[in-house]
Amino acid sequence: MLIVIVQVYPLAWLFVTSLRTEQDFATGDPFALPSSLTWENYARAFETGDLGRNILNSFIVTMGANVLIVLFGMMAAYAIQVLGFRFSRFVRGLFLIGIIVPVQIALVPLFIDYSAVNLLDTYQSMIIPLAGFALPMSIYLFSSFFEYIPRETYEAASLDGAGPYRIFGLITLPLSLNTVVTVVLVNSIFIWNDFIFANTFVLSEDLKTIPLGLQNYIGAMGKVDWTATFAAVCVTITPLLLVFLVLNKAMIQGLESGANKG
Amino acid sequence: MLPNRSRTSVLVFLLPPLLLYCAAVLFPILQSLVLSFFSWNGISDMEFVGLANYVRMLTADDIFWRSFFNALIYLAICLVLQLGGALVVASLLTSLSRGRELIKTLYLLPAVISTVAIAFLFVRIYSIDPVGLLNQLLHWVGLGSLERAWLSDVNTVLAAVSAPEGWRFTGLYMLIIYAALIAVPKELEEAAVLDGASKWTLFTKIRFPYIRPVWITTTIMATTYGLRGFDIPYLMTNGGPGQSSELLTTYMYKTAFTSTDFGYASTISVFIVIECLIAVGLILFMLKRKAD
Amino acid sequence: MKKLLRAAAIAAAAALALTACGGGGAATDPSNVSPTGEIKPREISWLLSRPADGAVINIMKKLADDYAKEHPGFALNLITTPDRPSYIQKLETLAAANKLPELFDTDATPFAQQLAKQGKMVEADKLLKSLDLYDDYRPGALDYQRFDDGSLYMIPFQFELEFIWYNKALLQKAGVAVPQSLDDIPAMCTALRNAGITPIAIDGQDQWPLERYVAYQPFRAAGPDFVQKLKKGEAAFSDPAGQKTVQWMAELGKAKCFQEGFSAQGYSDAQNQFTSGQAAMYNIGTWELPSLATDKLNPDVRDDIDFFTLPTTSGSVTAANEFVSPSGIGMAVNSKTYDPLVSDFLKFALQKYPAEYAATGALSPTTTVETTVPANATPLYKKALETANTLGEKQAMPWDTQLDPTTNGRLQQELVLLVQGNITPEQFTKTMDDAIKQNAPKFFK
Repeated sequence: MLIVIVQVYPLAWLFVTSLRTEQDFATGDPFALPSSLTWENYARAFETGDLGRNILNSFIVTMGANVLIVLFGMMAAYAIQVLGFRFSRFVRGLFLIGIIVPVQIALVPLFIDYSAVNLLDTYQSMIIPLAGFALPMSIYLFSSFFEYIPRETYEAASLDGAGPYRIFGLITLPLSLNTVVTVVLVNSIFIWNDFIFANTFVLSEDLKTIPLGLQNYIGAMGKVDWTATFAAVCVTITPLLLVFLVLNKAMIQGLESGANKG
Repeated sequence: MLPNRSRTSVLVFLLPPLLLYCAAVLFPILQSLVLSFFSWNGISDMEFVGLANYVRMLTADDIFWRSFFNALIYLAICLVLQLGGALVVASLLTSLSRGRELIKTLYLLPAVISTVAIAFLFVRIYSIDPVGLLNQLLHWVGLGSLERAWLSDVNTVLAAVSAPEGWRFTGLYMLIIYAALIAVPKELEEAAVLDGASKWTLFTKIRFPYIRPVWITTTIMATTYGLRGFDIPYLMTNGGPGQSSELLTTYMYKTAFTSTDFGYASTISVFIVIECLIAVGLILFMLKRKAD
Repeated sequence: MKKLLRAAAIAAAAALALTACGGGGAATDPSNVSPTGEIKPREISWLLSRPADGAVINIMKKLADDYAKEHPGFALNLITTPDRPSYIQKLETLAAANKLPELFDTDATPFAQQLAKQGKMVEADKLLKSLDLYDDYRPGALDYQRFDDGSLYMIPFQFELEFIWYNKALLQKAGVAVPQSLDDIPAMCTALRNAGITPIAIDGQDQWPLERYVAYQPFRAAGPDFVQKLKKGEAAFSDPAGQKTVQWMAELGKAKCFQEGFSAQGYSDAQNQFTSGQAAMYNIGTWELPSLATDKLNPDVRDDIDFFTLPTTSGSVTAANEFVSPSGIGMAVNSKTYDPLVSDFLKFALQKYPAEYAATGALSPTTTVETTVPANATPLYKKALETANTLGEKQAMPWDTQLDPTTNGRLQQELVLLVQGNITPEQFTKTMDDAIKQNAPKFFK
């Protein structure tokens, strides 16, 4: 029970703080219950920032990156693990390097490359590196899972005359739905909160994602309007939480069985 | 290998992901590796300096070594919290009969909340003036002598910034391990219990060997994420006080974007890559040897 | 495979070198401030680091809309990143890729100086003179934007004065008076501590506030030149003026002047400690007038708050009316994209800006307009504004824009250790002098 409290506490604290008046936040004990509640912070949060726009952008980026991560991850894993080829070990190693490289260092070269091909300030400029850097882990999870699909399944299908494309569509894809859920879940968490790529590649207001939008509450010389920020944080995590709650069972089962075999 | 695979089919499946990966990840990384042999501040002409950056890093940079050891301690704390915590909670969860689903969902919550908010919350928790939650708790349980400004004390700050990062992703690893644990065949366990095995032997002899592959995956995931840990220390203390909570990643970031020394920053990131490779190698080596 | 990798590496380096440096030498002359030709309206961008809902952005948006009415097709795209470290990362990345927009914000840092040397920024003094606006500006506001060789490349949009705000009731409770000299402050802190009061609330997380303190003693003892010499290694912390500030900082620490655990406390934490009556003093500039000198201030302390300017010391070479008076981050004009349109828009906007800005209750960087005191202001507001009229000639420059960035980062870290008592003044002096020796040559050749 204690453990549950430790995990839930921050969210509860966040929510309560977002309901505090500015005065109460400034002078009161941050851990006591507030003396009065107000929705004013939410009003201010919506007024200052374009939260709806930010959420929509985050949604597009998260979806886009996830599609790439899942599809390409599965394809590469299929080629490496199931089809197999001469340099498969080498290619696999090449992909694994991506797991361990700190992303910050690639920023300047990435930016230079992107500006050379006019990709700056687009959804793609966020989606591509996010997907690229998440791809190795996705490939790793998928190929570990594919190891568990018995060879006989493939051989039987091959004997029936199914080619590699049909096998992919009819056998591998449906079987790995659980792993798909795992990959999507893990990556959504990271991508939803990504700041560094978004900050580097996005220039226009229209494309700002949530973590960038939260900067709207920073005032002169680094003064932050915390109560409005927290209100905005509460608003912006709601979609993700809703998805979690609605898909709760499917997601967690997916995570369990997917990872289990991975 | 699939019997009727063809060269084209391999290419069809492999090429798109490989292209994306090369363009978005490998190529820029390669570029930054090349940069490590140059002196470049972003706007000047690049000047080839050979191994000078490497020599400086290994022999003449005290902050680099400090950050390196800090990063190792940071990693150790994160691993204990994430893997140890995850294993304990997952084991407890298997013995729970009700509310599992709820607990599992709740456990993912901290991972979802934006880092900015987490950092802010923990600064409050550790604070002493005004008294934060941690110091208040210590006071209540009679350990008032331990009260301190956790994030300003050079001896405690590293642990203090590691804890939130560790705590945050425990839920993720817990779910993975839990899933592995419930997949342990009941018959195996029952047979062992009949043989009079204690709970501990049950765990070490039956359960753990069974979940070993999952354990390896999670260890590698947690290690590589731990070695790349960045935002929480950066936001909470910015590496301070002094260099007490400076990690290789925060140092690298500052070298690149504060000192505009992109060449040297690349050198540090080459080191991080090598360090990660060694870490993963060690994990695989140790776990393999244990298994044999 | 190895061969392939090597080939790829070479290709990568070449590509980077090409895109990074190619086209770097823009053929435009940075001193040509009045380009000739037709004004062709288009969208221009301003990369800036100012509050998203602040006065500067709101006014510039409005002015851009007005300008667009006469010049259909014109638009000003304001790209703001209020968080300064994130902004600097963005600016450097854009500069490295040679993709700086028409207008961009920067302090007078060594990095900006290199951009200027490469001819990437339009000379601001010539620009302002050609628009006949140069003499409107407060000399101090322009000086703040100058590089150490006196050249001017950035245009200020603000003018601020930094004061030490204090709580009269708390000082009285501890039986201390407003300090007459900087050297009085440590003893004052001890007295306040003995009365159970936090002497000074400081934002340790953002680091610049503590760095202000290290600049004070040398500014009084040796004047504004000290930091100019220090950053090039021509002066050192081991010099008398340097030692004075090192010892003074250590004394501030020993006297527990700052709230415990200050290094992890943020901007609003510090301000809240002061406005809730827990801390006796708070060093901040006029940009906080709306929260410190209006009825937004906590009523419990409203009547007790006052401010004093930076105290002098005995033998001080600078006067009491000379202290930190920054004009904020400045705006640079990209020479590569400078054309009749940019020139015409700047002329339009810079002429109208001061009046609009002063109407918001802030100090304009020019002397041509009078600041409106807001209706909800306390008497302190007016007093603060009037202080601007009696400023002396010299100003204390914040060190964070002066030192090379590596030394600056090290200084910020070591200062915390010094004040917390983790290192001795001797260790501090040696570390910092070594750091300057190692890093300064790279930036100030």
